[in-house]
Amino acid sequence: MHIPDAFIPLPQAAVYWLIALIFIFLSIRWARKEMSEEKIPLIAVLAAGIFAIQAFNLPVGMGTSGHLVGGALAAILLGSPFGAVFILTLVLIVQGVLFGDGGITTMGANILNMGVIGGFVGYYSFQGLMKATKSMPVSAFIAAWLACFIPALACAVEMYLAGTFPLVPGLAAMGLYHAVIGIIEGAITVVAIRLVISAKPDLQSTVIRGAAA
Amino acid sequence: MMDNRTFLIAGIIIALAVGGLAVFLASSNPDGLESTALMVQGQKTLTGDTPSDAEIQEPESAVSYNPPLPDYTLEGYGKSGDLLAMLVGTILAVLVAIGAVKLLMMVRKTDRQD
Repeated sequence: MHIPDAFIPLPQAAVYWLIALIFIFLSIRWARKEMSEEKIPLIAVLAAGIFAIQAFNLPVGMGTSGHLVGGALAAILLGSPFGAVFILTLVLIVQGVLFGDGGITTMGANILNMGVIGGFVGYYSFQGLMKATKSMPVSAFIAAWLACFIPALACAVEMYLAGTFPLVPGLAAMGLYHAVIGIIEGAITVVAIRLVISAKPDLQSTVIRGAAA
Repeated sequence: MMDNRTFLIAGIIIALAVGGLAVFLASSNPDGLESTALMVQGQKTLTGDTPSDAEIQEPESAVSYNPPLPDYTLEGYGKSGDLLAMLVGTILAVLVAIGAVKLLMMVRKTDRQD
């Protein structure tokens, strides 16, 4: 759901940039407090992994494909929604500047959708679900599904405000496609969390503590 | 328990492998946003296939930015160009991430010395 430059008029794109910048600022404050030499490998691997897997579009039928976005994954593994904002901002900068995947003027909207909304929805729904189900895979799957689906709806509303999509067909199509793409998001998020925790069992406490907080 | 250096190297290798496989295996169908754009422009139905000649009509953009490696390709180099683009992107993602964290840690250090 990388929005290209042409899809949002400049004044609206500027508003999304402004909102995104507030969250980028907050994520930098989070990172300054939380980051240490020890955390660098996880940050680097998340950035590289999310960048790479975002290029791996899988078919979801209906003439459409989708890939992992990674907001929920980053937020859960880093124990904060600001972790997702931090990682997704870095990934979106590389994608936009180097590859033209997502516009420059619309990068604010893309950071807002995938980093901020994806990160917050993913993190807080994971917390709530962990309390209710006590199951990491169930909680992470649903949280990641929501972290794909809700940003897609936000994107559809932005496209309506921009005059690019009509409201109802835009919401219906974005919702339908991302409801299916969300299954990819959920499955890969669960597998990736399992993989990272098996390599670094000390992260188990971040994931669980995050859920208990 | 994997030490930090092994974790970093293993993680980067996995990312490179995923990106490399993506060059050959990724679906060329439009993503959810593009597919929605094609649908509202009447070029495909909601649940139907995407015709091979479907192309998104973009409104005139106020800015036109020309990225160095548009669409993850190096023009004229085929699959090897795509692989190189993914390699460059993945390594850059690692460097940007490490750079950002190191920079923040440096700033924090100077702050504390004040």
